[in-house]
Amino acid sequence: MSANSPLLALLTSTPLFAVGLTLVAYLIGSRVFQRLKRPSWLPAILIAALLLAGALSLIGLPYATYQQGATWLTVLLGPATVALGMPLYQQLPRIVELWRPLAVCLPIAATLAAFYSLAIAWLMGSSDAILASIAAKSVTAPIAIGITEQLGGTVALLMGALLITGVITIPCVSLIARFLHIDDERLIGFALGLNGHAIGTVRAFEISPTAGAFASLGMSLTGIFTAVLLPLAWRLIGMSSG
Amino acid sequence: MPALSGFLWLISYWLIGEVVIHFTGLPISSGVIGMLLMCATLAIYGRVPSSIAAAAQPLIALLAMLIMPGVVGVFFIIDELAGQWTAILIALLLGTLLSVVTTLWLLKRLIGQVHVR
Repeated sequence: MSANSPLLALLTSTPLFAVGLTLVAYLIGSRVFQRLKRPSWLPAILIAALLLAGALSLIGLPYATYQQGATWLTVLLGPATVALGMPLYQQLPRIVELWRPLAVCLPIAATLAAFYSLAIAWLMGSSDAILASIAAKSVTAPIAIGITEQLGGTVALLMGALLITGVITIPCVSLIARFLHIDDERLIGFALGLNGHAIGTVRAFEISPTAGAFASLGMSLTGIFTAVLLPLAWRLIGMSSG
Repeated sequence: MPALSGFLWLISYWLIGEVVIHFTGLPISSGVIGMLLMCATLAIYGRVPSSIAAAAQPLIALLAMLIMPGVVGVFFIIDELAGQWTAILIALLLGTLLSVVTTLWLLKRLIGQVHVR
């Protein structure tokens, strides 16, 4: 079927086809993930994204057309980010309890999360546009998109960077936690959320509710911290195209 | 319909975030402002109203699905960035590994003494 096929044109005349396709890919991805016994190196979102990309190229639907329809889903990222205020509130007592170490760790770790990758990419000769696109790689998508637009990066590349970062964070955390003899779920959760944003947080909730709570905390705080400071830092270093 | 009124709250807070950004020019996304305001409101209110929980919980659970349409875009710019991918991949993989090491090491140093209950 080509992109000009009348049937495909009919189906994609409303956003429902794109929305349906996304739901199918997500549900199959989750099912396959369960069937494979939740492998840490292959999260459900990676399976679903591969399925979706495969389906799009198979039926010859241009990504731009799909993306336009899928706006009906992605627009929900706004209220979903606001919704993160709820776990944040629910964890306030835990935050207060550990506020001092978390307050020391967060700025350093969140800064380095962006810095390491930027430094490596810069050393390897990546362009400013690429640096701007991967700078927010550890930030949860709705916040990261805003940051990347401000820095002048490509949102498509950012989303790829988010996927890769989120996926790689999971085995990294379990490996290094074992190496450093860390079995405190609060620490593991916080590290998953801080480095691996939503994908790491989903994983942390699979470990335990406590890990999930600390992952949401790490994710929210990294998001806020990076959203406030990265655009300012960018302007100071003079990276922005202006 | 508690979920519906909860959803209206979430949308309202997002819109308030837009207004705040419009007037202050803050370099943050309206979602983040909405999230902070939501957290502050709940802290003042003292508990999570069931309507907000009914809307917020499913939305948070669907976060991964909501970023999927954007994530898939990367498969369609693979050709555009030909020759750059090695640097991007190494930066992301190595950068993330280093950053996880730093985070966990720091946390262990800072919290390791505070005992696990």
